[in-house]
Amino acid sequence: MIKFVVKRLLSMVVILLMLTAIVFLLQKLSHINPAHAYLGANASQAAVNRETHILGYDRPFIAQYFHYVSGLLRGNLEVSLRTRHPVSTDIVAFLPATVELAVSGLFLAMVLGAVFGLISAARFRGAGAFRMLLMSFASAPVFLLSLLGILVLSGNLHWLPGTGDTSYTNAPTGPTGIIVIDGLVHGQFAVAWDGVWHLILPALVVALGPAVSIGRVLRGSLEASMLSDFARTARAKGLKERTVVLHHALRNSVSAALSMTGLQVGLMFAGVVVVETIFAWPGIGLYVDQSIPQADFPAIAGVTLVLGVGYVIINAIVDILQAVVDPRVALV
Amino acid sequence: MAVAEAFIPSAPRRGTARIGGARRIVGRASIAERVGFALLAVLVLAAIFAPLIAPYNPITPSGLPFTSPLHGGHLMGTDEVGFDIFSRVLYGLRTSLVGAVLVVTSGVIIGGLIGLVAGVAGGWVDTVLMRFTDLFLALPGPVLAIAFVAALGPSGFHTLLAVAIVWWPFYARIMRGEIRALAARPHLEAATLAGAGPFRRAFRHLLPGATSAIVVTASLDVGNLVLTLAGLSFLGLGAPAPAPELGAMAARGLQYLLQEWWVPVMPAIVVFLLTLASNLSGDGLNATMSDS
Repeated sequence: MIKFVVKRLLSMVVILLMLTAIVFLLQKLSHINPAHAYLGANASQAAVNRETHILGYDRPFIAQYFHYVSGLLRGNLEVSLRTRHPVSTDIVAFLPATVELAVSGLFLAMVLGAVFGLISAARFRGAGAFRMLLMSFASAPVFLLSLLGILVLSGNLHWLPGTGDTSYTNAPTGPTGIIVIDGLVHGQFAVAWDGVWHLILPALVVALGPAVSIGRVLRGSLEASMLSDFARTARAKGLKERTVVLHHALRNSVSAALSMTGLQVGLMFAGVVVVETIFAWPGIGLYVDQSIPQADFPAIAGVTLVLGVGYVIINAIVDILQAVVDPRVALV
Repeated sequence: MAVAEAFIPSAPRRGTARIGGARRIVGRASIAERVGFALLAVLVLAAIFAPLIAPYNPITPSGLPFTSPLHGGHLMGTDEVGFDIFSRVLYGLRTSLVGAVLVVTSGVIIGGLIGLVAGVAGGWVDTVLMRFTDLFLALPGPVLAIAFVAALGPSGFHTLLAVAIVWWPFYARIMRGEIRALAARPHLEAATLAGAGPFRRAFRHLLPGATSAIVVTASLDVGNLVLTLAGLSFLGLGAPAPAPELGAMAARGLQYLLQEWWVPVMPAIVVFLLTLASNLSGDGLNATMSDS
């Protein structure tokens, strides 16, 4: 088990190096001279050349890459062309809201996925209609779900707020930057509750698609487990069908659903970027959306790195969780 | 040698024989899947004949801004400039469909070739190629695609290129898995003993057996691609305005949502219909080709 964890963590380092290599190559491809960008559009050629030398952009390619990676490790993500702030500062400001949305979206996706999987594995009247409903959720682009959600739940029925992460202009800032938690920390329960209220619709929209995929995999492996010998044995012992499903089949099926969850996180991150733009959610998705029209590559690269690192870490955790739930995984 | 090989059955034609009979595929599909096939057929025809069906030019104003749907001869209304949304949506459908099919095809070709080479060659070639594939698989494709397009500069072609670059590893994995499974079968041993070289084994004895798995995967993947491409276009990473792209139309119409809902919602609904039709058809194809 420990060997498995160590191996998994080592492979994570290699993957992260690959990620930085890709982003580094893209930066070279984007024809943006970071020195020129750093000094501004009116800088003289001499000043640009001097800055290029100071920043190390006249060194050999490989040396530049190492310089880049060591910069990243020290938190240097270069300077945004749009906001003129270091990208790392911008990201630190925008990240908490994204973490809030992504974590609650992921949590919702897992819960809904389990529910969808268990329901659709059962045979009942209207099961076909239920599957069709799930298929529709999975086929709807996140922006359609968001638009309809805002239009109906917030515009017409006024049940849920349609924009932002809070309706307070003087909401407490810090220590985490996540409104719900900060509200609780400062003892302002109304603010925290309002934050939860703002979170429901965007988190639900982000979660629906991945939840259906997770539910599908769970159903498939549940059905396979229910046909297996151990399920037959459990039934032959006279156990109730409920017990067979929940105690015997489920544990053997969770592993596949978990690895699907890991894979879905990538799609979910792309969804988070879109949803943040629609809901004016103050996260890095909104930040990257504002950077795209300005061709602000350092900002886009920074967000890509942060989301990529998040994805890789989540997948490493998922793999380790899988080994905990199903020790056979660690044997490979 | 040729005589000896004549007795060797080539790869089991799981599926390939059935691809021919479209009627059999539809016949075995569930009602929902049949609806999916029909919807997909309608959408594909609409995309092909868009210039004939579209009542107006998609990029010239054809009426007052914000005409509501079904008024003044505008089936889906007009947008903030006065463009006919129905006409734009038809052309957008074309872009979406062509884009998704192109990326799936490139994924199948690039990934399929890499998987085929890895599976046939085995040894260190297999290890190197698959490690590389796994590295790509371990990164979030859609997020990388955003950075790719941003680096290359937003355009319809760059978006397709970016998504194609991140989309192949999945197919490499599947192809390699199928090839390794087939390679262990007796017919391959027989082919090798009969003197078939690596090329003949790859293309005559292995590839045909792997096609059905790849076709099913690809057909289930079209819907994902429609969604991913629409998402990128929504973020402004597609063809520049006023090109009729579904995602971009929804994004630009976003500000009018609460008063003129049809401006952003109509294109979004078309993305939904196209994805739903692709997913249902993919399911239908999967169900009929995998049960035997």
